[in-house]
Amino acid sequence: MMNEAVISIKDVSSWYGDKQILKNINMEIKKNSITSFIGPSACGKTTLLRSLNRMNDLIPSFKLTGTVKIDGTDIYKDIKKPEDLMRHRMNVGMVFQSPNPLPMSIYRNMALPMEESFPKERKKEIPKLIEKYLSDAHLYDEVKDRLHSSGHSLSGGQQQRLCIARVLTISPEIILFDEPCSALDPISTMRIEDLLNELKQDYTIVIVTHNLQQASRISDNVAFFYHGELVEYGESNQVFLNPKSELTQNYITGKF
Amino acid sequence: MNKLLRDSIMKNLCYFACIITISICAGIILYVFIKGYSQITPKFLFSEPTPTFSEKNAGGISTPIIGTILLTLIGTAIAFPWGLASALYLTNYAPKGKVMNMFNLAIEVLAGVPTIVIAIFGLAIFTNPMFGFLSSKVEGVEGISKAFGRSFLVAGITMGIMILPYIIKTCIEAIKSVPPSYMEASYALGAGKRQGIMKVLIPASKNGIITAIILGMGRIIGDTAIVWLTLGGTLRMTGIQPWFMPENYLSTLTNTGSTLTSYIFYTSPAGEGNMPSVSFGASLVLIIIIILLNLVTDYVGSIGKLKGVDE
Amino acid sequence: MAKLEATKSIENGSHQRKNTVKDFVFKYLLLSLALLGAMMIVFIFIFILSKSWSVLRASGLGFITDGGFSKQISTSYNLSPAEQTFKFGALGLLTATILSTVGALILAIPVGIASAIIICEFSHRAFGTFLQSVIRLLACIPSIIYGLIGLMVVVPFIKETFIFPQLQIQYLSDPVLRMQLSGKSLLAGIIVLAIMIMPTITALSADAIRAVPKNYKEAGLAMGLSHWRVVSRIIIPAARSGIFAGIILAAGRGTGEAIALSMVAGGISNVPQLSHGGVFFLTPVLTLASAIVNKSEAMSVPAIQSALFSCGVILLLTSVIFSLSTKLVEHTVRSSK
Repeated sequence: MMNEAVISIKDVSSWYGDKQILKNINMEIKKNSITSFIGPSACGKTTLLRSLNRMNDLIPSFKLTGTVKIDGTDIYKDIKKPEDLMRHRMNVGMVFQSPNPLPMSIYRNMALPMEESFPKERKKEIPKLIEKYLSDAHLYDEVKDRLHSSGHSLSGGQQQRLCIARVLTISPEIILFDEPCSALDPISTMRIEDLLNELKQDYTIVIVTHNLQQASRISDNVAFFYHGELVEYGESNQVFLNPKSELTQNYITGKF
Repeated sequence: MNKLLRDSIMKNLCYFACIITISICAGIILYVFIKGYSQITPKFLFSEPTPTFSEKNAGGISTPIIGTILLTLIGTAIAFPWGLASALYLTNYAPKGKVMNMFNLAIEVLAGVPTIVIAIFGLAIFTNPMFGFLSSKVEGVEGISKAFGRSFLVAGITMGIMILPYIIKTCIEAIKSVPPSYMEASYALGAGKRQGIMKVLIPASKNGIITAIILGMGRIIGDTAIVWLTLGGTLRMTGIQPWFMPENYLSTLTNTGSTLTSYIFYTSPAGEGNMPSVSFGASLVLIIIIILLNLVTDYVGSIGKLKGVDE
Repeated sequence: MAKLEATKSIENGSHQRKNTVKDFVFKYLLLSLALLGAMMIVFIFIFILSKSWSVLRASGLGFITDGGFSKQISTSYNLSPAEQTFKFGALGLLTATILSTVGALILAIPVGIASAIIICEFSHRAFGTFLQSVIRLLACIPSIIYGLIGLMVVVPFIKETFIFPQLQIQYLSDPVLRMQLSGKSLLAGIIVLAIMIMPTITALSADAIRAVPKNYKEAGLAMGLSHWRVVSRIIIPAARSGIFAGIILAAGRGTGEAIALSMVAGGISNVPQLSHGGVFFLTPVLTLASAIVNKSEAMSVPAIQSALFSCGVILLLTSVIFSLSTKLVEHTVRSSK
């Protein structure tokens, strides 16, 4: 596919204090694709994912060298002011491993990000947009009669779809998923995988997952990480059926 | 931009509130220090107060200090065993559910009672002639014999009642933080509940229990309402003199005196005297004692953490 | 040590029979002490109510609807036992208690919550710990010292800044409420009380904020909200019941404060008049708790003693209501989770 690259990662290394987590990562992620980060625990895939929307800033000892460019902007060197960082995070949304709806009604969960980011003129669009995004996330039909009940009253799978709908309200270009189905049952997982396939038409998706079948089912490109290094990165079919590295082969066949 | 400006104003207002808080605290400590430190001489600390209106001859604070110590000892001696026993019952023997909740509620409500109310309660009980042995008996106006109801013993017991709920709550926390595996191990070795409690549970929670005692002492040392109502407000001991001779101990305890707090009240412009300088001197001593107690509590608390007992 | 004792008791059969008696005594000793402790609140209520009965019966509801307490105390002090009426009106005390507590809360709540926010969210570790120590220090300063400083600093300040000689002369012969303006006032009481109850609000708000799950904050930041917005629109609303419990607790402490207020609030049971405008705050007042301290020397007169105990009854009732309310708030929080 001849999509342009929207995320460009060059010579990126990162540390928590003295401990090095990522070692010299180089890769490009293309627009409107689904890219999976796979690898054993503590290989750095989640750290790299969180670096893309600068959520690692919350950890005081975090340090990153190299260049992370999104749409041509170096998000570590070129973004200095808080308002620029906020805008960046609205451009790169995130869905977390444990569904985290806010302790409010479904309606307010959806309305809050829009109220915070819309100018006055747009605020009247909010109710319609709530319906639209909940539909896009395949949740509207299930909750349309109880929009004012608490977000926590939904099942795990529904909560995660609410979180996805919520991230759509900020109109991101890129959506990051941090093991979004690890806390869910197989049926909910399947529904979310279908949803991801639909979403990739309008968004660029990067997903960290432990589930190799999931990675092979939904991704266009796969990146395999091991001990902080990017071992192999390529088209999904190629990596899974014909891996270039023996390490990749061993991981995929379950040797570790 | 408007929104960001608003955010930044709100944040700065919060910082401003913190500055106010810090300034007030610093202001209080510094003010007491400046006004009081010139009074802190060995003569001040070890001589008795003289009831005069002249500031120069005001004397020292030895009896108030002793008074504070006496009340603290009596109050703690009463509340500590009582409180520990109650805490042990509630954590180990009380049936869970409604009974526990009632107990806990009663203690919580007792903790919220203002000390002035506990003070008049003390007065109500101990002016009853039945308790006359705790203070001196006086003939009332109508000729009905009534207990005077004010003495070190009375005040001490009332203090004990005041700190009881706090001792219970802190001991419960201390006991609850002991890992259940300790007691399980002792049961598995055939020990009964009583032995387990005495030999395992109490030693394991001793840091928390010590904290409870120190916190209770702090409360007694700092209280004025109970002292003012139940200790009689005399600057010096009114028992048979000299009060420090062992044969006069009982007399001292059943008669009145003062503590640091009532001394401060008495010598301030609000009391009978008008000697603010000694008032500040005593205040400084009081603050230093309280700060030291807090440091000791922190230290005791941190020993436990290092040993992993609290985790 | 526990091992040795336990093994010994198993081996020694007769030891076991003695043990049962000891165990029984132990358990019921603990039970009786715990029961005694739990019953204290009932005893307190009974004794105080009994001592206050003569005045409560004579005054009826008028105790809380009529005023004139200070005057009644001073007349009663001079009457012979035969002439005593036992009728007292504590409206002034009640109003003063409510006004001083509410006023203190208005000052203390914003400062308290703001400090809690800074400690938990907007400070580096060192500053946060420092701020917490400051709050803890303020919390353990005895009320007598607050009273002393209030008397020596706040009261003269109010006198210098707000009370001009013409004002004093004017109110010495005011038709509605004759009083002497000396700086000891409702305002002084509010300021001192606010400082005293603020640490409670800060401590409990900080606990409530810390108890908010971290993933709400993450969700908020990842949505592009600023840190302040995450705090104000997500964290604080999520922490609101804990903050509310702190406020109720602080209100309870405020109503019960006796010593500090007795020194700075003026000691006269006036009902501040709104018609006086700003002087509303400069009126000397007497609260329920400080009345007991201020008039304690007159307690040898049975009528006065009974009147003060009646104040105690009201204080006891309000403190019980506050304690129960706090428990109720905590209970609803826990059950909604």
